[in-house]
Amino acid sequence: MSEKVKVVPCSGIGKVHGLLARELALKVANELCAEITETPCLAYIVTEDPEIKEKIARGKCVTIDGCPKMCAAKSVAHAGGDIAEEIKIIEILKNYRGVQPGNATALNDDGWKIVDEAALKVAARVQQVYEGEV
Amino acid sequence: MESIGTKPPTTPVKVGVISCSGEDCLGGTISRLATRKILERIRLGEAVTICLPLFIAGGEEERAFAAVFPTITVDGCNKWCAKRATENLSGKVSDTVLVADIIGAEVAESAVLSTRNLTPEHMGMVDKVAEEIRVKLDRLADQNRR
Repeated sequence: MSEKVKVVPCSGIGKVHGLLARELALKVANELCAEITETPCLAYIVTEDPEIKEKIARGKCVTIDGCPKMCAAKSVAHAGGDIAEEIKIIEILKNYRGVQPGNATALNDDGWKIVDEAALKVAARVQQVYEGEV
Repeated sequence: MESIGTKPPTTPVKVGVISCSGEDCLGGTISRLATRKILERIRLGEAVTICLPLFIAGGEEERAFAAVFPTITVDGCNKWCAKRATENLSGKVSDTVLVADIIGAEVAESAVLSTRNLTPEHMGMVDKVAEEIRVKLDRLADQNRR
């Protein structure tokens, strides 16, 4: 598979969950899987421009959503994207009960620990998606 | 995030600020942080926001946002995604802020930045964009005072 995997976070602006989704996506796409991923802007996807719809339709997508509204997954699907994996921050946080990761503006040390640990798992999944093991 | 009511705002009017928060360039990071600064520090309680993709993923209440609140969109780059998506899916915006106009298009379109790697220079950019939002927000609040 030569088409890069699109990693699309919700980047929700109202809660820390959105920032966790954003930072998780950036860690995976910019560091752990830089050669096989890209991060198209969700806002651009929402515009439904033909250019981004055509781009989203190529290859596989991994969405990362902060809250149950599932904005990233719904928007990518609406634009015609093929979603191989829907990552949910709420599910990730079940492994960190009682932890306060920061706020919607900035993560604290616990928040970065969550990002770093979750990113390793997401990166492994992205690698599988890229290699076609979906 | 403050929830959106169904009634129009009363005095003092609240102003909506919608950020693109783009994941593909620095301008998106700056737009998000400047909007957050307005919401939680500069105009706490006077500004409201909504996640842009909720216009697709949400319901009628979310799509009514720009009809209920005078709204400023904050866009990182020249694609104007926040403005265009808001006007396509919610309503006409009252004003706009373009990060690329404030920090320069080349800088705004450079690689996206994690908040982990923010420098004082980046925070200076955030401050400049937040100030531009504040000026426009205050003007809108005055114009819409009931």
